Amino acid sequence: MRQFLRALNPLAALRRQVSRWMQARLSLSDTLLLTQRNVYILPTGAGWMLALTLLVLLLASINFQLNLGYLLTFLLAGSAVAGMHICHGTLRGLTLHLQPPEPQFLGQGAALTVQLANERRSPRRAVALAVHGSGHWAWTDVPAQGNAQVQIAFSPSQRGLHPVPLLTAETRYPLGTFRVWALWRPAAQVLVYPAPEPGAPPLPPGEPRSGGTGSAPSHGRTEFDGVRAYRRGDPMKLVVWKKAAQAFASGNGTLIARDAQQPHRHELWLDHAHTGLGDLETRLSRLTAWVLQADRLGLDYGLRLPGKEIAMGHGAAQRRRCLEALALC
Amino acid sequence: MNLRQTLAALPRDARDTLFMLCVIAWVIAPLVRELPVWTSVAVALLLLLRGTLAWRARPLPGRWTMHLMMLCAVAGTLLTHRTIVGRDPGLTLVILLLALKTLEARAQRDAMVIFFLAFFSMLSNFFYSQSLATAAAMLLGLLGLLTALVNAHQPVGRPPLVQSLRTASTMALLGTPVMVALFMFFPRMAPLWGVPNDTMAGRTGLSGQMKVGNIAELALDDRIAFRLRFDDAGYRPPQSVLYFRGPVLTSFDGREWLADPVREDEDEARRRFTLPAQLQVRGPALRYEITLEPSFRPWLMVLEATAEPPALGTRRPYMMQDLQWMVRQPINELQRYRAVSHPDFTHGPLEAVPALRTFTTLPQGMNPRTLALAAQWRADPQLAQGGTMALVNAALQRLRTGGYTYTLEPGLYGEHTADEFWFDRKQGFCEHIASAFVVLMRAAGVPARIVTGYQGGELNPVDGYWTVRQSDAHAWAEVWVQGQGWVRVDPTGAVSPGRVGQFQRLQAPQGVLGNAMGTVLSPNAAQRLRAVWEAANNRWNQWVLNYTQERQYDLLRQLGFDSPDWQDLAAVIAGLIVASALGGAAWSLWERLQHDPWLRLLALARARLARAGLDLPEHTPPRTLAAQALAHFGPQAQAVADWLLRLEHLRYAPSPTDPRATLRQLRRDMRQIRWPVRQSPTP
Repeated sequence: MRQFLRALNPLAALRRQVSRWMQARLSLSDTLLLTQRNVYILPTGAGWMLALTLLVLLLASINFQLNLGYLLTFLLAGSAVAGMHICHGTLRGLTLHLQPPEPQFLGQGAALTVQLANERRSPRRAVALAVHGSGHWAWTDVPAQGNAQVQIAFSPSQRGLHPVPLLTAETRYPLGTFRVWALWRPAAQVLVYPAPEPGAPPLPPGEPRSGGTGSAPSHGRTEFDGVRAYRRGDPMKLVVWKKAAQAFASGNGTLIARDAQQPHRHELWLDHAHTGLGDLETRLSRLTAWVLQADRLGLDYGLRLPGKEIAMGHGAAQRRRCLEALALC
Repeated sequence: MNLRQTLAALPRDARDTLFMLCVIAWVIAPLVRELPVWTSVAVALLLLLRGTLAWRARPLPGRWTMHLMMLCAVAGTLLTHRTIVGRDPGLTLVILLLALKTLEARAQRDAMVIFFLAFFSMLSNFFYSQSLATAAAMLLGLLGLLTALVNAHQPVGRPPLVQSLRTASTMALLGTPVMVALFMFFPRMAPLWGVPNDTMAGRTGLSGQMKVGNIAELALDDRIAFRLRFDDAGYRPPQSVLYFRGPVLTSFDGREWLADPVREDEDEARRRFTLPAQLQVRGPALRYEITLEPSFRPWLMVLEATAEPPALGTRRPYMMQDLQWMVRQPINELQRYRAVSHPDFTHGPLEAVPALRTFTTLPQGMNPRTLALAAQWRADPQLAQGGTMALVNAALQRLRTGGYTYTLEPGLYGEHTADEFWFDRKQGFCEHIASAFVVLMRAAGVPARIVTGYQGGELNPVDGYWTVRQSDAHAWAEVWVQGQGWVRVDPTGAVSPGRVGQFQRLQAPQGVLGNAMGTVLSPNAAQRLRAVWEAANNRWNQWVLNYTQERQYDLLRQLGFDSPDWQDLAAVIAGLIVASALGGAAWSLWERLQHDPWLRLLALARARLARAGLDLPEHTPPRTLAAQALAHFGPQAQAVADWLLRLEHLRYAPSPTDPRATLRQLRRDMRQIRWPVRQSPTP
């Protein structure tokens, strides 16, 4: 009901319009120098309260003919005006620079790192940054002619390639009577991988190598293309101990052994069709978990997604390739 | 661990709270004298409680406790003042609220409420005192509050309070020009509603009546009644000149002297013409200026006798038939006025008129022995022959030789005050002496009355002002003499020549501090210090407290306004605001120009290349610019590329030469090298 009413409020609609318009006219940039033109200032509730206080003080001075009261009122007013300029000066001239954001998994609170550079000879205090509208402020003081770094909490709600959200820099220093803020739309984009499925099942068995007898190993090392459950009589060196430890930890107690009997004829394909799940997102989530597992085990693996296939490979590059494909699928 | 270390080890919250409590205590401490006792005690306890909770890191009291205490505060205020509306109950409530609110500082908003209540408390100090000392104390308080406020808006780490104090002082310093401008030009106006009630009247000066014992109280009061400066700075008046005339008291009920009781019912016009003043002045005139402290009474203090109305701006003083100068409204603020007086004067009817009979009436059945003495004198042929002056001289002679003494502590007088003075105690203060003298004169058939006012004064050698204190309050007598009118007789001078005539007064007992000062410093040095302090106070009074509408208009006249009014003041303020806005704009422009000259040069180069058709993003470094220029324009851009590399070199390579000189050279070269031009599209 309340939201319904809020939706009806013409002022709210107008405000949305205005804020959309203001956001649209911001240019995209990873470095932003705050100047007179992009720093805004408005009194806060406390500011209006101070104005009311000043009015009452003035009335009392008039009514009781207190010249000292006038002095107090005007000194307080003068200090508030000076405070307003100090407040605006805290942001004006500050340079914000967004470090290229690291890719991150969905659901893991990630951070955007922003560098604040201060050229002036006095420090800037109590500068706060946050994703616009999130209310999770990260505070910092920027030393004189120095830099400071803040981590802004950012939790995207979807996988994929997202533009870095609208950021706000704000300060109310020194009196809290004015809010000085700046809006900033960084140009950088942040890649969000799907969230890995917690407690995902073990990796799928290897597939027979397609179109080959496997007589010629491509690399000079033994390839273990598949894993399977431990069978009595398997040599100890075939047991995947890392996997085994995980299995014990998760409580199912089965040992995993490398499928050494068909060393060259099986490849580990992580296929979206073999996840045994219906929904695309949960499938991607499981595939992500598998990619991480396979990477941890140091295996060669490939990834099959609808309309996309990533060739067999291993290592950090393969992992990144696969995760990117999963994110952008 | 000593206190300092303990304080340094306190968590930030506790430290901030304790600091704020100290500032609040500082701000409201001077009000303790004015508040009801229970309020002061309650506020002190609440602040102590809050401090202890902060020190021990204990939780604040719950919501219900707070509600209960709030109710108690309101109930207490109601019980004490019978209302919660008005200045005094309002003050009580605000102070209690402030103390209670410190126990409730949960959210940022609560903290702000505390600050704003503290500002009110600060202002309420000025109801009671606007002295220089109060101003200094409250300036400290204001800085303290601003410091706490700044500190509250620094959420990072544990910033030292000194740092916040520095910011607060900067703000106050920057705010001072605003304060001065507004103070000078903000239009002063009359109170918007109500008139300040005279609850403070009991504190000051002469009261328009004289009960035996009144002026003796004043004698202990060292506060300043008014200051005077003669136009002729070198003028040293004899003491017989320094009589400042206040209320004249006519009617006596045996204990208390009152001003002419007829006055109250009669309209002013009649009052002024029943017994005309008939003032005639002669001889040289004294011109001077008086700065009168608020007396909450409608009379002006001037030297005897003043024939011309003192110049008092829009107020129009008028003279009573007994030579007293009045204004219509009580003096509630510091007033400054100029006056012209003639020490040589006569007044009152020269021949006997029926109205003089008022001045020989005495209450029935009182002071029988004094009446007997008067009858005896009247029967004395020698005295009867000498007329009025012989009787006066006989009384003065008796005072001089009869073993009468002057004392501030004559004890409590009984029913027959004059009898007791003349025959039993033989000691008293000026009011006893004057009262007994007038009773005796009236008993002898001589019209006589009591004049109250101030006598004497002290020259402050630092600034040349004469200071007249409440302790200079005095009562003397006037007798009517055939052919001379009213003649001043100061019987106190007969008892104690020191009281009148020299620059000595009875020393009122000094406070502990005064005694200490007297022992540490030599009396001279202490006196000198006091003179300096009072001169400073006087400056404060002249420049700040007495800055009234008239002086605003004077200032405007000096600035060239012909007939200034409040609109001109508003215009001046508006002009100042516009001027400061323009100044601010100019300054920010200058600041923008001052922005890193190297970056500006780079931006200029980029703009030139952009004009030639090579548009690169804003933060392209010079090396990239150079490479792109070479790629885009070919060899014709070689000079530009070299120049750009030199620019880079200046910034990033250690250079033995003065970077500013190099920059200047680069700027010159920039104008000389050939910049590529936009290739016109080939048709």
